[in-house]
Amino acid sequence: MTLLSVKNLRVTFDTESGPVQAVRGVSFSLGRERLGIVGESGSGKTMTGRSVLRLIRPPGRIDAEEMVFDGIDLTRASERQMRALRGQRMAMVMQDPKYSLNPVMKVGAQLTEGLRLRHRVGRTEARAKAIAALEAVQIRDPDRVLESYPHELSGGMGQRVMIAMMLIPNPDLLIADEPTSALDVTVQAEVLSILDALVRDRGMGLIFISHDLRLVARFCDRVLVMYKGRVVEELEARNLMQAQHPYTQGLLNCLPRIGGDRSPLPGLDRHAAWAE
Amino acid sequence: MLIEIENLSVTYHVGGRDVRAVEDVSLTVAARESYGLVGESGSGKSTILRAICGLAPISAGSIRIDGAPVQTPRGKAFAKRVQMVFQDPYGSLHPRHTIDRTLAEPLAIHGIGNTDARVVQALDDVGLPPSFRFRYPHQLSGGQRQRVAIARALMLEPEILLLDEPTSALDASVQAETLNLLNRLRAERGLTFMMVSHDLAVIDHMCDRVLVMQHGRAVEELLHEDLARAGMKTDYARTLFEASADRMLNG
Repeated sequence: MTLLSVKNLRVTFDTESGPVQAVRGVSFSLGRERLGIVGESGSGKTMTGRSVLRLIRPPGRIDAEEMVFDGIDLTRASERQMRALRGQRMAMVMQDPKYSLNPVMKVGAQLTEGLRLRHRVGRTEARAKAIAALEAVQIRDPDRVLESYPHELSGGMGQRVMIAMMLIPNPDLLIADEPTSALDVTVQAEVLSILDALVRDRGMGLIFISHDLRLVARFCDRVLVMYKGRVVEELEARNLMQAQHPYTQGLLNCLPRIGGDRSPLPGLDRHAAWAE
Repeated sequence: MLIEIENLSVTYHVGGRDVRAVEDVSLTVAARESYGLVGESGSGKSTILRAICGLAPISAGSIRIDGAPVQTPRGKAFAKRVQMVFQDPYGSLHPRHTIDRTLAEPLAIHGIGNTDARVVQALDDVGLPPSFRFRYPHQLSGGQRQRVAIARALMLEPEILLLDEPTSALDASVQAETLNLLNRLRAERGLTFMMVSHDLAVIDHMCDRVLVMQHGRAVEELLHEDLARAGMKTDYARTLFEASADRMLNG
């Protein structure tokens, strides 16, 4: 079943030196599965994620032949309809907890704000839901965390708080933008298994945006590899080692490996033709 | 041994509490060796590098460079032998100084002449064109900034380079270029590295020996060969190894 289908998505920024296309004709569809989007900085992966929620600020423009989420045409939806969808049915976990949480608001207040305002849930019930969400992301002492300010939490805790926040309304689609790149490998593994359980148990669709090809391959079902705003290759994650495109191969080969021969790492060739 | 650290403890006093960042860690690094420190955030690995530079309060133990205990404050002679490269190339360069000024400053402090030629040479050594001299940090990409930070650390021609997660803020391809650059410079100049990373694959690629740390304590020291063939003895080191994203490619 298709949850989200995107055809020929373009994101354009009008700058003084003419229009710049950050995303150039990206198409994909997503069921209730884990889709990875990989690329270097500037490849347009984050912009693709944000476009789905229509979170591109002017002067940026989004054009798409088709962008349908569960039967709703996102290209035609009014701002009001989009607001009803965002957070409720599709949510996004941003990259950096340091910048994405409100620094002067306690975690508890941030977690319950949406519930209290939108659903007119009472204080006690909202708090209970917030605690349940924090427990779902394996935070051991949720009471302390609710009373903390973001700067009092470690990176891993902050990241989990953001995931918990996005999960409270139980969305159908979660877009996670580098949700683990600020984390240690062991915490990373924990956060990934939390996301994994959510996809499995709640039947959520997940778009996982990352620059780490190995991580994405280990965790996702399918992978889109982006280069300069285009998808250069789409493949099943388990076939990653058989990637055909030289860019994908280059991304794989430039990573050091445990037990590798320690010769200089191959650089990444970039051909303008790949971006055509 | 070039670097000798004996029973080092670092304790911060925060809000009336003592936070023990490093507890009773001992290690030695030979000249021209590349030594790695690996562990999760908060394991104290960066704190050891900072303690060497005098940026962390040492509460017990000793640090000796080439047999002599380090002086407090560290002073010019220390700076000439030991330099540090920080994780964040965005935060570690002065945003309102040109690259030229950043690179020339250590020379001015140490009264070394021939500034122009040295700055141009330093840029060339790290693979940047001379035209970058009069740029500001914000006009460079992350990888270029890290190259400038490495060039700055090498201005005084030190023997020891302390590298605190030098590539973790960089893209995979830029990381590869930066690691290659570091390895080339080490070979050319006979440098000694102490490198901190949370990425075992990076440590494996760069280091001859590695110390695994957890909660401020040393857990296990491994030789490069042992790491590659999963010859770790402690459970924690094995957990780190298993969690390393690199593993799936071998399976």
